[in-house]
Amino acid sequence: MNWKHVQLIFQREMTDQLRDRRTLFTITVLPLLLYPFLGMLMMQVAQFKNDSSVRVQVVGLEHWPSDQPLLDAEGDLVVEPGMERVAKLIDFESIPWNTNLNPLAADREAGDDDISAVESRARNAVTLDQADLVLIVQPDFSQRLKERLRGSVGESDSPAAGASDVAAAQSAELDDGLQVVANLARDRSQIARKRLETVLESWQRNWASSYLEEAGVSPGVFRPLALNATDLAPASVKRAMLWSKVLPFVMLIWALTGAFYPAIDLCAGEKERGTLETLLSSPARRREIVWGKLGAICLFSIGSALLNLLSMHLTAGMIVKQLASQGTPQLAEALGPMPFHALGWLVLLLLPMAAFFSALALAVAALARSTKEGQYYLMPLLLVTLPLVALPLMPSLELNLGTSLVPVSGAIFLVRSLIEGRYIEALVHLPVVLLVTATCCWFSVRWAIRQFESESVMFRESGRWNIRIWVHHLWRDREDTASPAEAVLCGVIIIVSMFFAQFLAGSSIDSWAAIAKSTFVVQVGLILTPCLLMAIFLTRSFTRALRLHKPQPSHLVAAIMLGLCMHPSYMLLSSGIQQVYQIGEETQLVLQHFQSMVTAQPLWAVLLLMAVLPAICEELAFRGFIFGGLLRQHGVLRAIIISALFFGFTHTVLQQSISASVMGLVLGFIAWRTGGVICTMLVHAINNALSLSMAWFGANSVDLPVALDWALTHQDGAYVYNPTWTTASMVLSIGLLFIISRRSSETRRFAQTELA
Amino acid sequence: MVEADQLTKTYPDLQVGKFVALDHVSFSVGEGEIFGLLGPNGAGKTTALRILSTVLQPTEGSARVNGFDVVTHPDEVRHSIGFVSNNTAIYERMTAWEMVEYFGRLYGLAPDHLEARMHEVFEQLQMMDIRDVAGGRMSTGMQQKVNIARAIVHDPPVLVFDEASIGLDVLVARALLDIISGLRDEGKCIIFSTHIMREVERLCDRVGILHRGKMLAYGTLSELAEQRGEDDFEELFFRLLKESDQNEVAEISSDRKSAVTTVSLWGKP
Repeated sequence: MNWKHVQLIFQREMTDQLRDRRTLFTITVLPLLLYPFLGMLMMQVAQFKNDSSVRVQVVGLEHWPSDQPLLDAEGDLVVEPGMERVAKLIDFESIPWNTNLNPLAADREAGDDDISAVESRARNAVTLDQADLVLIVQPDFSQRLKERLRGSVGESDSPAAGASDVAAAQSAELDDGLQVVANLARDRSQIARKRLETVLESWQRNWASSYLEEAGVSPGVFRPLALNATDLAPASVKRAMLWSKVLPFVMLIWALTGAFYPAIDLCAGEKERGTLETLLSSPARRREIVWGKLGAICLFSIGSALLNLLSMHLTAGMIVKQLASQGTPQLAEALGPMPFHALGWLVLLLLPMAAFFSALALAVAALARSTKEGQYYLMPLLLVTLPLVALPLMPSLELNLGTSLVPVSGAIFLVRSLIEGRYIEALVHLPVVLLVTATCCWFSVRWAIRQFESESVMFRESGRWNIRIWVHHLWRDREDTASPAEAVLCGVIIIVSMFFAQFLAGSSIDSWAAIAKSTFVVQVGLILTPCLLMAIFLTRSFTRALRLHKPQPSHLVAAIMLGLCMHPSYMLLSSGIQQVYQIGEETQLVLQHFQSMVTAQPLWAVLLLMAVLPAICEELAFRGFIFGGLLRQHGVLRAIIISALFFGFTHTVLQQSISASVMGLVLGFIAWRTGGVICTMLVHAINNALSLSMAWFGANSVDLPVALDWALTHQDGAYVYNPTWTTASMVLSIGLLFIISRRSSETRRFAQTELA
Repeated sequence: MVEADQLTKTYPDLQVGKFVALDHVSFSVGEGEIFGLLGPNGAGKTTALRILSTVLQPTEGSARVNGFDVVTHPDEVRHSIGFVSNNTAIYERMTAWEMVEYFGRLYGLAPDHLEARMHEVFEQLQMMDIRDVAGGRMSTGMQQKVNIARAIVHDPPVLVFDEASIGLDVLVARALLDIISGLRDEGKCIIFSTHIMREVERLCDRVGILHRGKMLAYGTLSELAEQRGEDDFEELFFRLLKESDQNEVAEISSDRKSAVTTVSLWGKP
């Protein structure tokens, strides 16, 4: 690698982008203007919403209890201290029950003082937008309220009983003579109703207190408990918690957007303008070009995110000040100012994330032939990365081993812990997060370099696509093994069909017959059949496509021993995963029920159906057809990782999926070194058989021979491995994998043909 | 200086399965010589020249530039070659001077030497008046001059011009041919691809005629005229193309006939 070339390309790309007004506007000017503009708009809208009065008509205010009036002598609402602001935002218009006033006068007829007529007029008033809400106070409202209360108090012998009756009356009072007519599809009506309810609640409290005092009961009876909370969290930390959720999300979205547009211009744009070929013919190697461009894209991504952050910080500060001056100090206190130390941690998060997003954007942009085509790739890229950025917004999710393993989300959780001052927790998970993030960055950069090294990507010409020609091409140009695209398609077909089959099956699997049937359908129908059909129709050699290559004898023996030795490690891994990602109670019950049904059957039947059949079907599909296809064009790592992921996805429970994916990596390695699926079938079948047998022997209380005591112990109705054997088996497994990695010259030659 | 031996390049193709862009093509070009690679659109000229400049890799065969193999020693090849194509453009937001300087630095020229060399090249190509003009504001002719300056700034022994005169007006095209002719006089080995006969007649010492990826004829203009008994080079070119197409049609129909025969033989055991 010539770093001088990288530096030159980086400098040129930076200069070029800084001279582009569109890029400059999107990356720098827009964020600086956007937040102040949005903040100003928000404040104005909020102010308008808060300050504008609502119109409330009250029909029959004369029926309101005179000893506890709703309006005072000046016609203002009687409310508790502190509620005056709300009261002022209601324009009350009192309409006497029998007074002729528009629109009530419009269709007034003799004897129309009944409730339905008044209600009909109230409807008109709301419909004709003469009021946002009409409150109807029925003629007997005051009387009914008093009678009920008096009766209740009279009947009760104790002040406490009286108080409960007051409460009952209080809860029913709105139904007893008050009616609200409003069009709640309109915002103003909704605001009017909220404000009216606030005012009436205030009136209620006054009313209840006065009656309780009359009855000799303290109004405090309604609040017998008062919690004195001691909050240890300083206000700054509480503010940090709020911002720690919002800021990473906003920042990373801008980091991605800030990376994508320069990536499109520096890749697809250059292809379109013809300058990329000029550069490709220069002494700079492809990887040097990628690193140079990546540096520039990364810097723009960081710059864009930082400017957004800064602009948001300044705007939030202004809004908080404004809120405080507008009489909402609690909200101002809760919101801000944005903690400054949070910005430092966010910058730390930004650096690896910007590198990751930039490499992803560059690799995706390399696919595009033009800037226009490149724009289409933004949405899929966002759809893939958005869930990872949004996951930490979910409530009750925190940094732990499980979340720290999720790319992007893990890093956000870590930074959140740092912002919230949980440094020990962050330090514990830092190595895992760093490892995951570094791996993601490495893979994305590698992908980008491969894209630039691929002639078919760099010099892709647009051609007319026709389904007939394409189908003909699939048949005519088929090769001994599947192509990488066909391999991925097979995996996707299996996953999607299993997803739908799961819904169709529902919860009907409640007997051994149903288990047997569903296992057979899934293994043969959904996993084996697609790969067999694709092997028949899309490849020239059935045995090569399914990798039915005869293994060398040493590999066969090693595979059988590995199956036996690796099982304790697999069990340890599974229990470790279950500790990190706890299985929910419901799932656990379902699994227990499932196990009880399985262990009640003869062992031979269980092994045949759940150990041998999956080993054959899954290995033919994942380490056979899919692996063989992905192996082409020297894609060893690609084949091992992608086939393992597909294998993991076919296991429905998350915890099983993770352990199966890890197992898939080991099986992938064995499949690569042995050149076929026979050895992986053996390892897979033995592993499944051991898991099932141990569960079966434990559930049926079968005593194992004493000779096995050195390896197994019976604990709580289940067999578990002794720690000594577990440790020893791990060492043995490594040794056996080493044996498997040694290939004869014939196996090596065969492997070379698979890579072509 | 340049040797191509049985160069073959195939691409996967939806319509025909495998598209042969270059089919076992061989040629060689010496110092101070202009070799014209002639052919209609889609003949394989650009593919051949992209392989020589290491932008593409051959499917079969080999090529050496200045003694270096294009597959095993691509870095050395790139330092020995200057590549100008109608596909290679210049940066819109860089001035002529900046662009040539950028490539000069990529070629590893020392700053002092680069400065002197740039003055020399800009004067040679009469570009001093456009040195501070941004690429986006230049005419096609100016852009092509910058492209040539970019390709010769490191003084490579081999120069490749792939349909470099396309889109240029008569005056600029003529100036370009003069520049190429001048470079030949400096002892450069030049490969010049075009489909314009007059340019070939005026410039090339030897020519190779490519059609559908195959080399139909190869030699000096006089050798070709003598071999085919045709003095008019344009006529000769069209005759070769026509013959090649007729041969191909005959081959296809013969293949079909043999296929039919095979079927009928199977029918009568």
